[in-house]
Amino acid sequence: MIRAVVRKELAVLWASPLPYAVAIVFNAVAGVLFVDQLVGRRQAVVQPLFPIAGFLLVVLVPVLTMRAIADEERSGTLDVLQSIPVQAATLVAGKWIGVVSTAAAVVAPCLLMPLLLSWWGDPDWGPVVTGFLGLALVVAATAAIGLLASACTSAQAVAAIVAMFVGLVLWFAQSTQTASAAGAVARLSISDRLHSFAGGAIDSADAGFFVLITVSALVAATVCVDARRR
Amino acid sequence: MIEARGLARSFGGRAAVRGVDLRVEPGEIVGFVGPNGAGKTTTMRCLLGVLRPDTGSTQVTRPVGYLPEQLAVYEGLSARGHLRYLARMKGVAVHDIDRVAQLTDVADLLGRPISRLSRGQRQRVALAGSLLGPPAALVLDEPTQGLDPAQVVAARDVIRRAARDDRAAVLFSTHLLAEASAICDRVVVLVAGRVVADVERAAFGDLEERFLRLVGEATLA
Repeated sequence: MIRAVVRKELAVLWASPLPYAVAIVFNAVAGVLFVDQLVGRRQAVVQPLFPIAGFLLVVLVPVLTMRAIADEERSGTLDVLQSIPVQAATLVAGKWIGVVSTAAAVVAPCLLMPLLLSWWGDPDWGPVVTGFLGLALVVAATAAIGLLASACTSAQAVAAIVAMFVGLVLWFAQSTQTASAAGAVARLSISDRLHSFAGGAIDSADAGFFVLITVSALVAATVCVDARRR
Repeated sequence: MIEARGLARSFGGRAAVRGVDLRVEPGEIVGFVGPNGAGKTTTMRCLLGVLRPDTGSTQVTRPVGYLPEQLAVYEGLSARGHLRYLARMKGVAVHDIDRVAQLTDVADLLGRPISRLSRGQRQRVALAGSLLGPPAALVLDEPTQGLDPAQVVAARDVIRRAARDDRAAVLFSTHLLAEASAICDRVVVLVAGRVVADVERAAFGDLEERFLRLVGEATLA
């Protein structure tokens, strides 16, 4: 049943202009800023790509998730599915896989950047692999947060704004830390966690952080969908 | 079978449904009529498990087909894609799509994107989705809205066939008394969240007069 939800989600998403617009914006902005970084550094390093791509994902993934559940509620199709009845967890999991797959396709052209870089220099491939793994975890977490926002409202725009806000708070957490709360806040920072992946390290605590955010948001989204019956 | 016993549901302290008792037998068509805001949709959503009732119990034989009041279709899919998705979610064989498409006269529309269909065509696609299975119980919320007169007649025939051929228990809401009296075996009148009348077909002759009197009395009360 999850497979049916994934296929439907992909069909509906790619029938809309959203993934194409997001892909164009993401790759154009990431490409320009990455080249700008390379020119400034005069080094064939891929590391600057990851914070740029990570930030863009925090902003753009909510555009892909905003309609996922909100639109089903607005149109009444969620009622039809719940009357069958389809489990909320099945719906949320299927939609999450659909959005993550779509976001992966959006990010895919970025894989060309390290390949192009290898023509002019000799980049270290370890950080390339771990950096993209870090981006995959950012996509997973932001997609889950986006689905949670979409499950909490039937207004797509509100879902997108809330998900972007939460993502940006998590992104900038390290730069807003105060002396007293420094440790706790820094632990919530997506950018800090991504930084270690971009540096070539796979820290289980960083990976666990993204997994924890993803699972927590998906469970909360499932609870929200179920709570509609109350 | 569709059954509700002492069904009650409120929103923010305002009672929408107050102790509704209702029973629809297999093969029976029951019209659910009442003024706007009477609680018809809330009752239906409680019956289907989409809303949890505050008190009371419900029993609906599965599989169930549901047509909500809104046009509940996936605009990003083709008509066939929409029906295929619902069939998979219901665990129904995909070839049943052709049966319901023939029944609702949307066979020629299956390949077209739903976003390019007219409102009436979308309503027929949504009706086709509710008939997949076929269902043992059919809950239809204003099923003929947006249809032209010929399509209304065809939709009534589809509903009759679901009850007669598939022995589905059919509950459908409408605000058109003429429509209710045209195809129903029984009409249940809901006013202000309460069932105020349960009228058998034999007494349909003065349905409009009775309805207006009941609504007036309930409003005054």
